[in-house]
Amino acid sequence: MTRRIVLYFFLMSSFVSVGQQMVNHQLIARNLGEKEMHDGIVLRTFGFAQSFSEQPSIPGPTLYANEGDSVVLDLFNVSQGAPHTIHLHGLDVNQENDGVPHLSFEVHHMEHGYYYFVAPHPGTYFYHCHVVSTIHVQAGMYGVFIVKPADGSNITWDGGYPYSQDKLYTMSEIDPLWHEDSVMEHDHDTTQTIHEVSIPEYHPSYFLVNGQSEQQLLEPDIALQTAKEEVSFLRMANIGYLANRVTFPEELNAKIISTDGRPIVNPEISDTLWISPGERYGVLIEPIVDLIDSIEISYVNMNTLTSEDIQYVPVLVSGTNGLNEVLIKRPFELYPNPSADQFYIKSFGQAYDCIKIYDAMGRLVHIENHDNTEKKSININLAEGIYKVEILLSQCVLDTLKWIKR
Amino acid sequence: MSYLIKPFDKFISMVFLKESAILFLCITTAFNSFSGQISDTIYINSGTLQTFNGSSLPYKCFNSSNVFDKRNAILSYSISDTVSLTIFNNDISPHRISSIELGVTSGLISPGMNETVSIHSAALGTFIYHDSENYPNNKILGLAGMIVFRNNSSASFYWNLKELDTLWINEISSNNQLSAEYNPKFFLINGNHNPDITGDSSARIVGNVGDTIHIHIANTGNAIHSIHFHGYHLKVEQSSAHPGHEGRIKDTFPINPMEVLTLELVPHQPGEYPVHDHNLIAVTGANIYPNGMFLTMLIEP
Repeated sequence: MTRRIVLYFFLMSSFVSVGQQMVNHQLIARNLGEKEMHDGIVLRTFGFAQSFSEQPSIPGPTLYANEGDSVVLDLFNVSQGAPHTIHLHGLDVNQENDGVPHLSFEVHHMEHGYYYFVAPHPGTYFYHCHVVSTIHVQAGMYGVFIVKPADGSNITWDGGYPYSQDKLYTMSEIDPLWHEDSVMEHDHDTTQTIHEVSIPEYHPSYFLVNGQSEQQLLEPDIALQTAKEEVSFLRMANIGYLANRVTFPEELNAKIISTDGRPIVNPEISDTLWISPGERYGVLIEPIVDLIDSIEISYVNMNTLTSEDIQYVPVLVSGTNGLNEVLIKRPFELYPNPSADQFYIKSFGQAYDCIKIYDAMGRLVHIENHDNTEKKSININLAEGIYKVEILLSQCVLDTLKWIKR
Repeated sequence: MSYLIKPFDKFISMVFLKESAILFLCITTAFNSFSGQISDTIYINSGTLQTFNGSSLPYKCFNSSNVFDKRNAILSYSISDTVSLTIFNNDISPHRISSIELGVTSGLISPGMNETVSIHSAALGTFIYHDSENYPNNKILGLAGMIVFRNNSSASFYWNLKELDTLWINEISSNNQLSAEYNPKFFLINGNHNPDITGDSSARIVGNVGDTIHIHIANTGNAIHSIHFHGYHLKVEQSSAHPGHEGRIKDTFPINPMEVLTLELVPHQPGEYPVHDHNLIAVTGANIYPNGMFLTMLIEP
C-alpha cells in the first residue's frame, strides 16, 4: 500500500503535463447501506458514496472525465468484512488497475486504493467491485463512468452526433434474499483465488432503472422529457443478471449509434434494443411528434428466455405541461393487478375503442373492441407472466399499462 | 490437446503452447494436408461427467477417439478443404449429425454403425454441429460441438459454451421427459469450469501484444451468455444471429443459444486479464466463486 501512495503522489505531480486534465474521484465503499424499495421494503445494501454524509446509492455516483484526461480514482474502504475493489469495466486499463483481486490488488478496511488510467474513447462504461462480484454487484457496488469528448461538449464523440441532453438509464435487479446478512457477510480468505460462499438461486423481485421501479419511475429525473425534433442521447446500460429488451415508441426515431464505448459504423434504426449483462448502448432520440408514451424495458431470464417483468420509463415530448400534470391526468387504470383470468380497465370518461394485449416478447395475444362501458371487464385465459395492455382510439395508443397474470 | 482439436489447428496450437516434439511430428503430418479432400473421423461416446460438487451425470459427446471425453471435438479445417467426415456411433441409442448452417445432415446412425458426410464451406467462420435426432434432448445430453473453416494461420482459440441443468439431464436420461423450467447450476467452456478452463490450451488465450488472435465461440447450451473481456475491445468478425453486427468493436458479447461468434483480438497491452460471462450467476457453481464461465488470458509484451 505504501507503494501505491507513493505512486499516487507521483501521478498527481506528473500527469497534468501528460494528459489534458487531471481528474480526481473518490468513492467511499460501505457495506451497511439501506435502500427503500418501491413497496416500502428496506433492504441492506453495499455501495459507493462520494462523502461520509451520504448513504451509498444504487447505482453509485455517476463519474465523469473527458477523453484524454488523466484520472485518479481513490477507493476508500470504510466497510468491515470482505475487501473491495474497483473494476473499470470497458475502460481497458492495465492489469494493475483492472480491479480483479488476485491479478491487481484489493482494498481492505480503512485502506485507500488508487486506480490510475487515461480516459479512453468517449462513451459509457461501468465501474464495479470485483471481489466475489456475483454477490457484491448484486449488493449494489456498481455505477457508471462516462467519458465525454476532450472539450466536454455535448457531442457523442469527436466527429460524432451533437445532442441537447443525455439521459442515463442503468438497468439491474434485486433479489431480497441476496440482501440478507447470511449472504452479504460472506467469509473471504484473501490468500485464496477461489472462494466458497453462499449463493442462493437468483429470483429477483425488484426490476430497476437507475435503482428505481414501478411508481418511482414517474419521478421527473427518470422520465425522458424532450421536445419535438430535439436530439437526446440515451445511455442504456445493463449491470443486472437478466437481459433487457428495450422498446422505444416508434415516434422517437431511435437510432442505435454506439456500443461499449465505441461507435457503430452502420447505425441501426430500430425501436427494439437488446442489452445483455455488461453491455452499454448509445441511442439517439429525435421525436417527430408531440407524444406521451413510455420506453418499455423487459427483463428477460437468461435461462428460460422468458420475461420476468416490464418497467416503463415515461416519455414526454413537448406540448405537455409537465410530468406531474400528465401523471395526474393519466386516463386509465388497470386492476386488480396482479390477477388471474380477469381484470378491469377503468377509463375515467376517456373515450377509447380498442384494447390490445401483448406478451413479454411483444407478440399480440389478444385484441378486443370497446363497448363504451367506463369499467370494462377483460376475461382472458393466458399463461402466467407479464403482459402489456395498450389502450387505443382510432389506432392511436392512448396509454400503456402492465398486467401481471398470476 | 491433440485429441481435442482436429487437423488444421494442431500446428498453431503447437507454436503457442510449445508442446512435445513427438506431437510436432503428428501435427506436421496434419499440416501437410491443409488443402483439398481430407478425411476425418469422430466417435459418439457416452460416459459420465463429474460436476464441481462431485455428482456424476450421464453425458454424451462427439470425440476424436473411441474414448469418452467431456469435451466435444473441435473440427478445424482450411477453407479450401472438402472434408469427408465419418461418424461412428459407440452409444446404445441412434444418433444423427447435423450442421444447419453448412447444410449437412447425416442419415440415422444406429448403435455400432457409422455414416460418412461431406462437409465444405464457401464462407469462413464458426459453425455448430449437433445431434439432430431426438432434438433438443440429445444436444442437452452433450452432443454438440463446433466446426471452424479458416484461411489464415493466426492464433485461434475455441470456446464451446454450455450449461448443465442436472435435473434435465437426469430426466432425459431416464425417461426423455422434462418436468421443470430450465435452471442450470453449472456453466462450462469446453466441458470445463474455472479454474480448469485455464488449463485447457484450446480455450486459454495466450499471445503477444500486436498478435492477431481469433476466438471462435459456439453456444451449444440453452441459455443466453454475455461474455465480457477485461483489458481489451475486440471486433465481431462473424455473428450468426446478427450479421449486421459484424465489424462492431465491443468488450461484451451476448450470444444466444445455438448461435456462434468469431471475434478478433489484437492486444495493445500486456497482462493477465479475465474473460467471463457477465451474467454473474454463470461464474458460480456449487457455491464457489469464481466457478463456471471464467478464465484468464495471458498476453506477453
